[in-house]
Amino acid sequence: MSALTGEELYRRREQRFNDIVALKKPDRVPVIPLVAHYFPTMVKGVSNRDAGYDHELRLRCLREATVEFGWDMLPATGLFGSDGYEALGSLQLRWPGGDLPDDTSFQFVEGEYLKADEYEQFLADPSGTTLGTIFPHIAGKLEGLGMVPPLYWLSNMYYLQGVGGGLLAAPPVRAALQALLDLGDAAAAGAAADAVHGQQATTLGYPRTWVAPVIPAFDVVSDTFRSLRGSTLDMYRHPEELLRTIDLMQVPTIALAVQAAQLFGNPRVFIPMHRGAGGFMSDEQFERFYWPTFKGLIEILVEQGLTPMPLFEGDYTPRLKYLAELPAGAVAGHFDKVDRKKFKEILGDRMCFWGNVAPSLLCTGTPQQVKDDVKELVDLFGDTGALILDSGLGVPDEARPENMLALREAADEYGVF
Amino acid sequence: MSNELTDAIVGMREDEALAMVARDLDAGVAPIVVLDQAKEAMTELGRRFECSEAFIPELIMGGEIMKGISELVKPHLQAADGESARRGVVVIGTVAGDIHDIGKDVVVLMLDVNGYEVHDLGVDVPAARFVEAIGEFSPQVVGLSGLLTLAFDSMKATIDAISAAGLRDRVKIMVGGAPADQQVQDYTGADGWGSDVSAALNLSSRWTGERS
Repeated sequence: MSALTGEELYRRREQRFNDIVALKKPDRVPVIPLVAHYFPTMVKGVSNRDAGYDHELRLRCLREATVEFGWDMLPATGLFGSDGYEALGSLQLRWPGGDLPDDTSFQFVEGEYLKADEYEQFLADPSGTTLGTIFPHIAGKLEGLGMVPPLYWLSNMYYLQGVGGGLLAAPPVRAALQALLDLGDAAAAGAAADAVHGQQATTLGYPRTWVAPVIPAFDVVSDTFRSLRGSTLDMYRHPEELLRTIDLMQVPTIALAVQAAQLFGNPRVFIPMHRGAGGFMSDEQFERFYWPTFKGLIEILVEQGLTPMPLFEGDYTPRLKYLAELPAGAVAGHFDKVDRKKFKEILGDRMCFWGNVAPSLLCTGTPQQVKDDVKELVDLFGDTGALILDSGLGVPDEARPENMLALREAADEYGVF
Repeated sequence: MSNELTDAIVGMREDEALAMVARDLDAGVAPIVVLDQAKEAMTELGRRFECSEAFIPELIMGGEIMKGISELVKPHLQAADGESARRGVVVIGTVAGDIHDIGKDVVVLMLDVNGYEVHDLGVDVPAARFVEAIGEFSPQVVGLSGLLTLAFDSMKATIDAISAAGLRDRVKIMVGGAPADQQVQDYTGADGWGSDVSAALNLSSRWTGERS
């Protein structure tokens, strides 16, 4: 191995991943964390606050952890820079060093950022409602945008200068525009650090797992607009509005996925999934509200030559029968709590198996328990080799370092074909 | 009265259920009878949830219909009607450092409609607040909720604090949330674990039954 150049290592690692997704038996089982939020900085003694604000430090720790823990690809950091949250006065995501203590994780705040009685307004004017209603709800510093009328009101020079000019003179509107410019500055700084990070990782021979995520249309509506409570009540009280909104959000979902893959030159599209898991809805509701747009997204990405990497968060055992409808050998399915034996039975010849080592085991168990779990996985999937090791949800922040090393050691011990 | 009301709630027919309650109250049906039928429906939804015949949307929608019924019944209640015997006392909250509440809120709803006196301490609850609440409410059951992996250490610290305060033998403690499992129970020193509302109901029922 030591004789290989970074370029050769990169190609070999990417090919191994692609082979596993395509259900071709690889030379060995890789360890690929889908994402590593705070673990790489925590093991270096860096606070979560500093990890969020110091892009260069965060990314350097991630590269170092990738080498030290023997990962086969460079995981995504999964963190947005905290300078961006701060620029916007984010209310929907709270962050360490914002109003959360320095050593907690960033956390999502679910809420009805779009009310049930605002559905029609949103459907009639999605852009205007996003600008004037949703932005002020999710970002405190964008409150002034609530004053902006629908833009078509300003569609001639009289109104643009008269009404538009007046608005642009108003301090709350100016403050909101300044906040957006500050976000742009923060994003530019983050992107500059990320470009260097990606280049250095490439030189070291590590392909990146993914760069940009895309959220399934149902989860956009449920997680980010209406909340679990709101969206489930909508299934009974406003099913048509819910469905129309999901269909509407499918358009940007697909466009963002395809454009991000082109922009970043990375064919792997990460798709975090929340509300489709077992328990969250019946099969009938899943078929009506979740599955059609999710399946459509996967099919289009595969048609475009991209590799969808859905993270099936929660227990997907009850949904495995649906996943058998997805294109075979084309999807890198990452699983949280699924019944691995049932997966093998139902999907073993259609989809590789990635993840499923319990976060609790990595955080509180022993290296021997981790190795035993890996052995069980290799015993089950070793015949085809369609296996990638990771925790159920990427590296847990509080994973014990010796357990993460055990994951690598077990892969070497049991997973060489 | 028949089981029409129970059927309407279980069938998620909100308008029909509310119209039925209004009609029954006008006809002089005792409000406590109406409430009992509505609670019976929620118990049935809980049973269906446990055997995967109902899911989170039905529990949330059922809770919403219950809320509507309670509003209609309230003006008809005599002071004594509200004082039905409680099955047990539960103190619950999301542990320090974690602000997630969706799972906890569904558990609180279902414990409440199943007859428990529930004290919800909210999110990001310090260990000391749990200790204080045990003194204040004398629960048989304490529920520690969390979604993040940082919650494992917070749960452990909370249980350690309860022990240090000399209260550990007075309560049974369940740890819950998406990442909870036997490993987390063992690590934190809890008496039980659950990753869904059925587990919370079963543990509470078992533990309050043992002590009554």
